[in-house]
Amino acid sequence: MKGDVIKYQRDNIDTDVIIPGPYLKIHDYNELAKHAMEGLDKDFHSKVKEGDFIVAGRNFGCGSSREHAPIALAYSGIKAVLALSFARIFYRNAVDGAFLLPIEIDESTYNSISNEDSVEIDTEKNEIKNLTKNQTYAMKPFSELIGKIIAAGGLFNYKP
Amino acid sequence: MPKTLFEKIWDLHVVVEQKNGPTLLYVDRHLVHEVTSPQAFDGLRMNKRNVRRPDLTFATMDHNVPTSDRSLPIIDQISAKQIKVLEKNCKDFDIELFDINSPNQGIVHVIGPELGITLPGTTIVCGDSHTSTHGAFGALAFGIGTSDVEHVLATQCIWMEKPKTFEIKIEGKRKNEHAVTAKDIILSIIRHIGTAGGAGTVIEYTGETISDLTMEQRMTICNMSIEGGARAGLVAPDEKTFAYLKGRKYIPKNYDELVDHWSENLKSDPGAHFDKIFTLHVDTISPQVSWGTNPAMTTDVTSIVPFPEEYAKGNQDEEKAAIRALQYMNLKPGTPITDISIDRVFIGSCTNSRLDDLIEASKIVKGKKVSSKVRAMIVPGSQLVKKQAEELGLDKIFKEANFEWRESGCSMCLGMNPDILVAGERCASTSNRNFEGRQGAGGRTHLVSPVMAAAAALAGHFMDVRELDLN
Repeated sequence: MKGDVIKYQRDNIDTDVIIPGPYLKIHDYNELAKHAMEGLDKDFHSKVKEGDFIVAGRNFGCGSSREHAPIALAYSGIKAVLALSFARIFYRNAVDGAFLLPIEIDESTYNSISNEDSVEIDTEKNEIKNLTKNQTYAMKPFSELIGKIIAAGGLFNYKP
Repeated sequence: MPKTLFEKIWDLHVVVEQKNGPTLLYVDRHLVHEVTSPQAFDGLRMNKRNVRRPDLTFATMDHNVPTSDRSLPIIDQISAKQIKVLEKNCKDFDIELFDINSPNQGIVHVIGPELGITLPGTTIVCGDSHTSTHGAFGALAFGIGTSDVEHVLATQCIWMEKPKTFEIKIEGKRKNEHAVTAKDIILSIIRHIGTAGGAGTVIEYTGETISDLTMEQRMTICNMSIEGGARAGLVAPDEKTFAYLKGRKYIPKNYDELVDHWSENLKSDPGAHFDKIFTLHVDTISPQVSWGTNPAMTTDVTSIVPFPEEYAKGNQDEEKAAIRALQYMNLKPGTPITDISIDRVFIGSCTNSRLDDLIEASKIVKGKKVSSKVRAMIVPGSQLVKKQAEELGLDKIFKEANFEWRESGCSMCLGMNPDILVAGERCASTSNRNFEGRQGAGGRTHLVSPVMAAAAALAGHFMDVRELDLN
């Protein structure tokens, strides 16, 4: 999986900035996507491309349980979020509906990846390649449950 | 081996457990609201599945209902539709619904306990992060997303990985317990452990202060466990818990027998191991006011807006976050907290909208007037809270002071109904999140206790509520 990085050097990116409350009434996911990240970055919708990745700091997706948050990102084209850590409900929502991959990275990887870098993610080798900088990093492997839900394509296809 | 309360409840609900792998956990109660459920019901229909246990599933509408006159139609057509959809879903799947005209309608985390749906030792889930509130009763209560809501509707079970345990001991006696409230205790805890301090854990709150707190105060504390990053928060049930629930509408017929069982079993064994421990001494804590854009960015009312460099203690990302937060909040470092003027006051939300909260706030409001520069609203957490408050004459006290007295719902906590801040407005709010735009795009939120919010409404700025006569 290859894509370009949109980096937010920031901890605690909460679900209220990922998809602000007033839009939770929207049922059309493509419409919802037009407002993704609106609380943090008004230009997100115009710059995001299909297949992009977000890179961010600690506790990504903290706050509300709204599954609209990973949905809005996914329908914007985001295939993975690489963060130092995730809030639990966002993390589970991201994989339950097979919306995007939540990938935990370490501090040096976080510091090494820059905005607009091209990156390749290999979840079988648990490796992230920075094609722009010609570097390779390790990603934290998924737990057994999360790995299997991802492999199954979502919670409803998961068989233990 | 001695077990924690969490481990005891967990073990009793395991359906399937794989060594070092995921656990399928049984769910005793599923609470449903209008915002995170529509796609889940759509999913059931699409796959021709039924709700497995409609008798254990309860629904209400709280997030986007207006808190104005209920006899008028809902103007926002999209909200009106979401509410209609929940009505249809509950009818089609035979789920009990407390609708907008029900005397039991209210914020899902207020009505669960007050109807006796929330019980000690149970597992409770809801498509809402503040489900942790129910932990105040010794229930293991998790917020979940919409896919999990669908999964629980279909199976009454949830796949989880076993969380770690975190004991937060709250020790000591507060010098002025009307001024230094449960809200100040939980804000102090989050300030110390940080927004991800509880990540991956279930917190059990213990210690003499917890025993002293009322059930409503314990709910305030458990409610904000999620703001410290925890999966859930718990308090071992005691006589106060059992007395609170006795006689409530949905408690089981053999309640007294259950109480005997609960009081014997629902507590952590002496010597039980916690993966993490933190102790808060309440003797010296002050009333708290948040100054930034996450709940850990909080300080004493007697303090100043912090200088980002000092606040960050050498962490550059923290410093940048603080600079950005102060920009958003339009605050200058060094400003005394008591010099911050406010435009709006919101007393409500699943954190602080219960009868106790309203009684405490009313004590300082009685016979006074809201500052002419401030618009203040009281939003009772449920229709029952509203009724009880009105029986005590609290509505008159608030209305005479020029507070708006409104119908129950989530209201201005989350900016998805007509109650929102206008860009630039500054609000003293008893809710749980001060994120950017949470109460309306460009709105500025200061998290405080109901007493602090009421005092700020009268004065037009924050003040040390310990100086007031609150007895």
